[in-house]
Amino acid sequence: MSVAAGTRAALRQPAPPSFASKIKNFLRIDGWGALVLPLLVFLILVFILPLFVMLQKSFTDPTFGWQNYTAIFAQSVYVKVLGNTFLTAAIVTAVTLLLAFPYAYLMTLATPKWRTVMLVLVLVPFWTSILVRSFALVLLLRDTGVLNSLAQDAGLIAEPVTIIRTMSGVVIGMVQVALPFAVLPIYATMRTIDRRLLQAAEGLGDRPSGAFLRIFVPLSLPGVAAAILLTFVQALGYYITPALLGGPKNTMIGELIVQQVSTVLRFGFAAALATMLLVTTFLLIGLASKYFDLQKHLMGQS
Amino acid sequence: MLALSLSACGGAGTASDEKSLTVTMWGGQAQSAHVASYFTPWAAESGVTIKEDSPTDYAKIETQVNAGKVNWGVVEVEPNFANTACEKGLLEKLPQRVIDAAKAAGVPEAQMGECAIPNLQYTFSIAYNTEVFADKHPTNWAEFFDTKTFPGKRGFWKYATGGLFEAALLADGVPADKLYPLDLPRAFAKLDTIKKDIVWYDTGDQQTQLVASGEAPLVQAWNGRITKAAAEGQAVANDYGQNLISYDQVVIPKGYPNAELAADWMVWFLGNGQAQADDAVASGYGPVSSDAIGLVPEADRKDLAGSEEVSKDSAGLIDYSYWAKNYDSVTEELNNWIAK
Amino acid sequence: MNRILARTALILLAAIIGLYLLLPVLVVVPMSLSSSSFLTFPPKELSLRWYQQLLDDPSWGRSAFASLKVALLSATVSVILGTLAALALVRGRFPFRNAVTAVLLAPLIVPYVIVGLAVYIAFLNLGLTETTLGFVLVHTCLGVPYVMINVSTGLVSVDRRLEMASMNLGAGPVSTFFRITLPLILPSVLAGALFAFITSWDEVVTAIFLSGPDMTTMPVKMWSGIRVQVDPAVAAVSSLSLLVIISTFLLMGAVKMIRKMIDRRASLTMNEGI
Repeated sequence: MSVAAGTRAALRQPAPPSFASKIKNFLRIDGWGALVLPLLVFLILVFILPLFVMLQKSFTDPTFGWQNYTAIFAQSVYVKVLGNTFLTAAIVTAVTLLLAFPYAYLMTLATPKWRTVMLVLVLVPFWTSILVRSFALVLLLRDTGVLNSLAQDAGLIAEPVTIIRTMSGVVIGMVQVALPFAVLPIYATMRTIDRRLLQAAEGLGDRPSGAFLRIFVPLSLPGVAAAILLTFVQALGYYITPALLGGPKNTMIGELIVQQVSTVLRFGFAAALATMLLVTTFLLIGLASKYFDLQKHLMGQS
Repeated sequence: MLALSLSACGGAGTASDEKSLTVTMWGGQAQSAHVASYFTPWAAESGVTIKEDSPTDYAKIETQVNAGKVNWGVVEVEPNFANTACEKGLLEKLPQRVIDAAKAAGVPEAQMGECAIPNLQYTFSIAYNTEVFADKHPTNWAEFFDTKTFPGKRGFWKYATGGLFEAALLADGVPADKLYPLDLPRAFAKLDTIKKDIVWYDTGDQQTQLVASGEAPLVQAWNGRITKAAAEGQAVANDYGQNLISYDQVVIPKGYPNAELAADWMVWFLGNGQAQADDAVASGYGPVSSDAIGLVPEADRKDLAGSEEVSKDSAGLIDYSYWAKNYDSVTEELNNWIAK
Repeated sequence: MNRILARTALILLAAIIGLYLLLPVLVVVPMSLSSSSFLTFPPKELSLRWYQQLLDDPSWGRSAFASLKVALLSATVSVILGTLAALALVRGRFPFRNAVTAVLLAPLIVPYVIVGLAVYIAFLNLGLTETTLGFVLVHTCLGVPYVMINVSTGLVSVDRRLEMASMNLGAGPVSTFFRITLPLILPSVLAGALFAFITSWDEVVTAIFLSGPDMTTMPVKMWSGIRVQVDPAVAAVSSLSLLVIISTFLLMGAVKMIRKMIDRRASLTMNEGI
């Protein structure tokens, strides 16, 4: 029924609509659209309501007003950390994408057996606690760690390369966590792309690289968009990995929020920090979707 | 006179069975040792079921008390939290019998709170790598801050009450008895001199990793962790010069239905030096009752806070009443300084 | 020629990525076999001490079971709710689209500690802390956006003409969905389900709030000692769960191979029959 409804809507002649009909049109919900309701109701009851009670504390705890927000800007550290959070998330997203795209592409080319191996490789880190994995990375990467000693013994480097407590350390740690979240959606999209399109383009005289860029890449964009969104948004909330692998300059907002909630008990201030993060993220996503049509690629809307 | 009767606490808590006590501590092997040494024996004697939870979370305490649904009976906390939370009315005041028991057991007055008794003590002391500093190592905080004589990174706890300010001021020549209130600008100035050499740690494991690997051959560490690592054959050792004594406390959240039972345990704990001594051997943390340290085998004693050997070199006790007032603001200053 | 070069570079890159993913995990296994109570690599002395401890302490098994139950249930609920919502987002029409999308994505963005505290305040009064239901409710919120985004992505690339054909042949929308659409988007649904499962399985921040003596999930158990010392038993747990997942994959591969062999034998017999 509803598939036809969409077509009918498209065919309808644009008559000058009255205000009431405009509203009615705006509020219309079709059969497909109604499917959003179970999740919406669920999230509003379980998630949004408690969250609202919590976030309004940013205006009421300890006293009514904006003081939690002015406090954020009174100390440059919070703004700096917020900026650092977005910067780190952006770098992590970029690196993840650079690795995930060719990896997913190779998965589409591989034989089924190798494809399974590649899939298992991506999924394996999931199964070790992130805590232990971060410790393992520290043991591997630190100045006196396994990799540095090996490279030094082999004569590759004279001095140990400092990775831990730098941005590289954070990125190495976080990309590992993020890779599966990028590889899987990209692979899921790529495997639906009809390879005959590429052959056709090449048949028409396009070079393989040109055909790849002009045909394959654009068709894989929905998966890429999903990967960007998942990686970026997830990276915003990390704090365990940056705390263990990063230096003092790599503090992310998540760590400060945890500190405010769990040790200082300034719920209102923590709520304000969280609200800032939330609002900034939505603004950024909104801005990004102006240039890169997330909605279209993710939700098929234009 | 401070002792308000426990019955004064109204609080319609959750109806829990008469004979159970929920114990919440920081978790891990330390908690296992504490529970085995001084909760299980008491529970067996008095027919109480011990329920364990971990880790301690202050936000949970506050929420439980505000909601009037208190599930946690005895909670291990930091003294500055015990102090603040007591003032905010989140904790039960100690009944007189617990205070009396603490007096009788010779628990240091300074480690008692209005709502809290200490359950263990440890030191912030100089941990060094014995391979890097085989011949000589820093024996006081001034030497710890001297990166010319003792080159290498320094590890500090990224935590306002982690002892770094006290150490910096002692290194800068402030007499031990004039530490508080802390001269923060002076402390930060001293820390500035070694800022590029500072490595921060967040967890107890990181401190041993840092020293043992030689990545930061000098760390201001908890003595018990280093003692255990040395016993495992790692190249680490403690120097107790100017050590700062710290302690954890146990409290009863306000409105806990079995608060009487929790107080019973406190009385038993304070009066049972043997249980504390057992815990000291198992966990590496010093006991709090004065007779307990004598019950610890001689070999283990020299590395326990509260022993003669450790106390004679100490620069004193961390003043948690100062920290209760200033923890929030100093945390903010520390965050700022680190990010700068 | 160029193509071969590109392929070789690609394979090399993938190999490096594979190593990068695997190395820290592989380090965990020897770490778990160390006799020391500190996480070290390489271990000085090998022992099964930490595995023994897992066996001796029944609370590890209990929390593993609790985690598995919560993760399976919340992944299931996430898949159902998330797939429905994805269908609505991609194909449907409903008002306040941007606001609704924001609500649906919010669980990804709100820091978990805020979620944990918020939910703890609400659940404490409802008696939902330390219950499977409470965990499943919260973990479903956290996992459902992954399902939604993955399934949306899959749906966008579905060729609608296949569905139309099915409808034209007389299938109803529900049976068209199950016979045509679902098989097409199945990889995306599975990816979403996997993410939802893992999100729950590994989630510690909100779980700390919801856990208690009556119910503690495994990540909370792993985390609880973090302030003082990481229990090497945690490395043992990690190695064990690694063993489980790898043997599952191997088993799946073996089953597939056996089935193929049987198929081949069957076709051979048939050929012989002819």
